[in-house]
Amino acid sequence: MKTLLQGNYAVAEAVRLARVQLVAAYPITPQTPIYEKLSDMENEGILPGVMMRTESEHSAMAACIAASLTGVRTFTATASQGLALMHEMLHFASGNRVPIVMCNVNRVVAVPWAFGSDQSDSLSQRDTGWLQFYCEDAQEALDTVIQAYRIAEQALLPVMVAIDGFFTSHFIEPIEIPDQASVDAFLPAFSIPTRFNEADPAYIANVVNPEQYMGYRQKSFEDMENTRPLIKEANEEYQRIIGRGYEAVESVNTDDADIVLVTSGAMTSTARVTIQSLREKGVKAGLLKMKLLRPFPTREVQEILKNTRKIAVLDRNISLGKGGIWCQELKAALYPLENRPIITGYIAGICGADVSPDMIEDMVVKALERERSDDLPIWVRRDQ
Amino acid sequence: MIEIKFCGRGGQGAVIASQILAKVFFLMGKYPQCFSVFGGERRGAPVASFLRVDNKKIYLKCEIRRPDHLIYMAPDLVDEQEIESILKPDGLILINNALTSGEYVRLRKFRLALIDALSVSEEAGLGSTINTAILGAYAKASGEISLDYLEQAIRETVPAKIEANVTAALHAFDVTHVMEGVN
Repeated sequence: MKTLLQGNYAVAEAVRLARVQLVAAYPITPQTPIYEKLSDMENEGILPGVMMRTESEHSAMAACIAASLTGVRTFTATASQGLALMHEMLHFASGNRVPIVMCNVNRVVAVPWAFGSDQSDSLSQRDTGWLQFYCEDAQEALDTVIQAYRIAEQALLPVMVAIDGFFTSHFIEPIEIPDQASVDAFLPAFSIPTRFNEADPAYIANVVNPEQYMGYRQKSFEDMENTRPLIKEANEEYQRIIGRGYEAVESVNTDDADIVLVTSGAMTSTARVTIQSLREKGVKAGLLKMKLLRPFPTREVQEILKNTRKIAVLDRNISLGKGGIWCQELKAALYPLENRPIITGYIAGICGADVSPDMIEDMVVKALERERSDDLPIWVRRDQ
Repeated sequence: MIEIKFCGRGGQGAVIASQILAKVFFLMGKYPQCFSVFGGERRGAPVASFLRVDNKKIYLKCEIRRPDHLIYMAPDLVDEQEIESILKPDGLILINNALTSGEYVRLRKFRLALIDALSVSEEAGLGSTINTAILGAYAKASGEISLDYLEQAIRETVPAKIEANVTAALHAFDVTHVMEGVN
């Protein structure tokens, strides 16, 4: 069924269709409509599970971990400070190997206080052992949340699905909602090991020695590596049953490109318009959309960019003292290439600041003129 | 693609008006994209809501800086100099104001429509809720939407006083004063 929805509601629809049994969450702008919509669904009796309204995000994640250990499919959603407050429990989730799915609505982290989109909140949780997907629009958000359950439960690792605050969470656009039977065919009934017995509760996080601890970490690392085929297979199966799919890395017109623009999230859509217009002007520009951050799709980007001479990376985030985070990840991935490309890093759209097609065009054209990589990023602000 | 900007004050219903209009375009089989300026919502403060519509999927995820259509639910927000600098040359301005076009000398080069939406809404029993009256006026001024789809969208969207809202939209359509641009 096609309907007009804001992205937050599309995420809530995905949670309903995934037959989630426990939602534990705390409201925060711009994620609150997810929480409200799920509450409405519970009130109307159409949410298969129950809502647990916790007193903080830290508690929400703790509740999801405990519930998941009893064999229950769980969901939470947050943003910004809420994700920061969850940080400790994110490590507990991946360490306990619980397949929680979370939607993080990207928003700047205080201070100063603001509401706009900025991936720094979720990117700074990169090393907590969660898989991380970044979505371009609301349709992809809905589809990715459903895919995430299948991947998480096969891998016994938690998955974070990130969407841009405002541009994806609040823009209202036509969304295709799959029917329940198709989602059921894609997503098997929940069946994970029950590791926490309610009748005989016990603390399950043991104290271990260094060798044992390192063994757990290595096993987790290997299992994260092993999610690569699961991610691919989940997408192919979703494509087969539901009719839509999204690559971990999507390339557009990269084969003959003199320059490839690398983007993630909602800015990718605007960049598509720019790339098309540059092609019409005779500039051989291509686009690479990064959807997957962890596990990082190193081989895919190496394969796509091995013959590309110039690359511009557009980051809606900033790591102080270094630069854009996608740019750093990409540089590390491309280092083994025989012919290393010239890479220009741009910081734009922080806090949801406007990034228009003409601004992106200017970035691509300037990056095409550059003859060497620079370690420092270029800040792009409309009013400067 | 048409880009539309609604300017109002918190409580007037600019956001809901843009969402109902998005629904109208959706019912017509078009691709609407609707969004509002976000973060400082409060009654009486200036509010802007935006709508893009096209026959195919819209990829732009950025601000509307040069609208095709400008709708002023709050006439005190009209800044003629600003409108001259942002509105596209063949653009449309719809203002909720009973005054004549004589008041908007600098805007006469554009297509200009005036509607006393407050009177229409009060007469329909809606008090100062003017969003459906504005949409009836927009149907007349723009020629982009049919009254049938507007009525359907209002019936599917408005939570209360449905008949009064439909009446206000249809009445507003009849009494909207449209003036072609003068070069």
